[in-house]
Amino acid sequence: MYAQSVNTPDSSHPACRLWVGTSGYSYAEWADTGFYPSGTPPARMLPVYARCFSIVELNYTWYQMPKIQPLERLVNQVPPDFRFTAKLTRSLTHEVEPARWRSDASRYRDGISVLIQSGQLMAILAQFPPNFDRVLKNRRFLAALLDEFDGVPLAVEFRHRSWAHDRVFAELERRKITMVTVDTPSLPGLFPSLDVVTNPELFYIRFHGRNARGWRSGSMQKQFDYHYTDEELFELANGLVAKMACQAGCGVIFFNNHVRGQAADNARAFMAKLMECGLMEKMSATGTEKAWAAPLFT
Amino acid sequence: MGRAIIHLNVADFAVAVERVMDSRLKDRPVIIAPEGAARSAVYDMSEEAFLAGVRKGMALRQALRICKDAFVLPPHQDRYERAMKAFFKHTLPYSPLTETGEGDGHLFIDVTGSHRLFGPPMDVAWRLRKEIRQALGLDPIWSVAPNKLVAKVATRLVKPTGEYIVAVGEEEKFLAPLPLSLIPGIEKDDFLRLVEFDFTKVSQVVSLSLKQLRVLFGNRSKFLYDTLRGIDFSPVLPEGNTESGILLDYEFGDDTNDVANVESVLYRLVEKSGKQLRHRRLAARRVALVIGYSDGLCCIRQKKADPATANDMALFDLAREVLVPAWFRRIRIRHIRLICDRLIFPPAHQLELFPQSFEKNRRQISLMKAIDSVRSRFGDHAIRTGRTRGDSCACRPRRRIVGRS
Repeated sequence: MYAQSVNTPDSSHPACRLWVGTSGYSYAEWADTGFYPSGTPPARMLPVYARCFSIVELNYTWYQMPKIQPLERLVNQVPPDFRFTAKLTRSLTHEVEPARWRSDASRYRDGISVLIQSGQLMAILAQFPPNFDRVLKNRRFLAALLDEFDGVPLAVEFRHRSWAHDRVFAELERRKITMVTVDTPSLPGLFPSLDVVTNPELFYIRFHGRNARGWRSGSMQKQFDYHYTDEELFELANGLVAKMACQAGCGVIFFNNHVRGQAADNARAFMAKLMECGLMEKMSATGTEKAWAAPLFT
Repeated sequence: MGRAIIHLNVADFAVAVERVMDSRLKDRPVIIAPEGAARSAVYDMSEEAFLAGVRKGMALRQALRICKDAFVLPPHQDRYERAMKAFFKHTLPYSPLTETGEGDGHLFIDVTGSHRLFGPPMDVAWRLRKEIRQALGLDPIWSVAPNKLVAKVATRLVKPTGEYIVAVGEEEKFLAPLPLSLIPGIEKDDFLRLVEFDFTKVSQVVSLSLKQLRVLFGNRSKFLYDTLRGIDFSPVLPEGNTESGILLDYEFGDDTNDVANVESVLYRLVEKSGKQLRHRRLAARRVALVIGYSDGLCCIRQKKADPATANDMALFDLAREVLVPAWFRRIRIRHIRLICDRLIFPPAHQLELFPQSFEKNRRQISLMKAIDSVRSRFGDHAIRTGRTRGDSCACRPRRRIVGRS
């Protein structure tokens, strides 16, 4: 029950700025794969990461409520043009308790205020679980949640297919909420990969990998164990991203296939592909050129 | 590579277990206190009772005056012990390095190096909490930190529910703004000394150098210096680890204040631990005693064994020296626990300067060997000292489960 594009591609956003990064950066195994120098403590990983990428999706905020001091420390470790997106805490998406979610939303807004004040927050990512389907109860909850976060840039990721509906897109467009485009394995019931842009200011893509066998294994290490090939990346850059880039002023792209450092590897290769396609400037703030010109671990 | 320690903490463990057994207790103020004692003291209480002003160790009568609608339950150690075992069992698939500590709803799990198998430590912690909640009905607070000390402080910070993640290298910054009362291991005397100097926050004490701290705290200065900076290299000790020491409990059938009876039991405990030490070819460098009074209050005292020993007579002398300061109340004793820890391999034998004491030691060692030899052949009851005659109750080693958190 949906058309592929809400905003038809046009040339009204010729200078769509793209940001490429990974979902999370603090993975011990990335030191094993060489992305981080061996022995890099987690507290020193972000500055190294920021030499390669200019945006990161904070996923620890899904596990715990963001707190001001730790976020301040993160902000102090990166250049001012570095950007963050932050996942919404699980108590607002996966483990919602009717009696306390509103106070949690308020606490989340307080915690994330550091990034808002520093001007480095691109979006808050509300990722809902696969069992969050489009029934009346959930629709009401989603509307109330969006109201709670009014005025804050928000991106919503659905995992259940029932949300792929024109009325959903229209409502998100009315509220200027970004609907996250996902790249996942082709499995029944999963939310499809759509090039729909519901917010002309920002589109948001998450590449989860296409590991169909591991997707429902219950283990993150299997679910996100995938390496995109050069051909796949080229196809995604030239197709999906090119199409969405002409509908929004800005776009963020994250690789979530973090197992064995594949996300970082793919993200860097993807930036090269975007440059080849002319979608990303070499001297843009992504830091790509800077990262490749200088040795990484000096 | 930095360590990743998960700390799971079931707040008000005894109450949490009781609530699983009886759902009517949910959302009601609950006090756990022993029955039948004239001056019963609060052993554990629910968050509701805590907010009303009830505290551990408070007289039950006073607690009930403060919190009139509280539901009072006697402690059920067996229930807590079973719950703790089940709690512990759920963590084993993730790491064999799981430390149960005092068995009071706290677990430390070392998941360092398991990220390839199980994913990031925070995800392991979250899954553990979810599994334990589903399977046992307990809702632990969790934290992930580079060491046990910081992990413990982190869960204290978010009590009664929540989670906290402290990254490697963030330990000092994490502790700096906290009040000193949240830091484990700071003894009462040290704390009072710090307060005397108007130190209430970690950041204030951290500004002192080790040299300055030494002036104030002497031998304790290094411990304070490291602790307040979040430095803690203590390993997560799995059950049965040799470093964890020997712990023996005895519960009196009837509460007693009979010195001969208590000393007799104490000697039996010493004999048991001495035998285990000699069997493991280890010696204890510290002897500690926990006295549980009939009103629920506990007193802990300890003494250094210098040189380290596994000799029953030497251990008993030390235990008796510890008993005196520990048994300072006129309340009858319900429970006694002997701890022989800081185990080391026995130091090399050194000739004594005075032949008389040398001869005495030699004879004691020979006697111990002879007793061990008889017991190993004919059983523990084959030969007994006069001190333990008349005491038919056998002490049993067990882990204590209490509702502290």
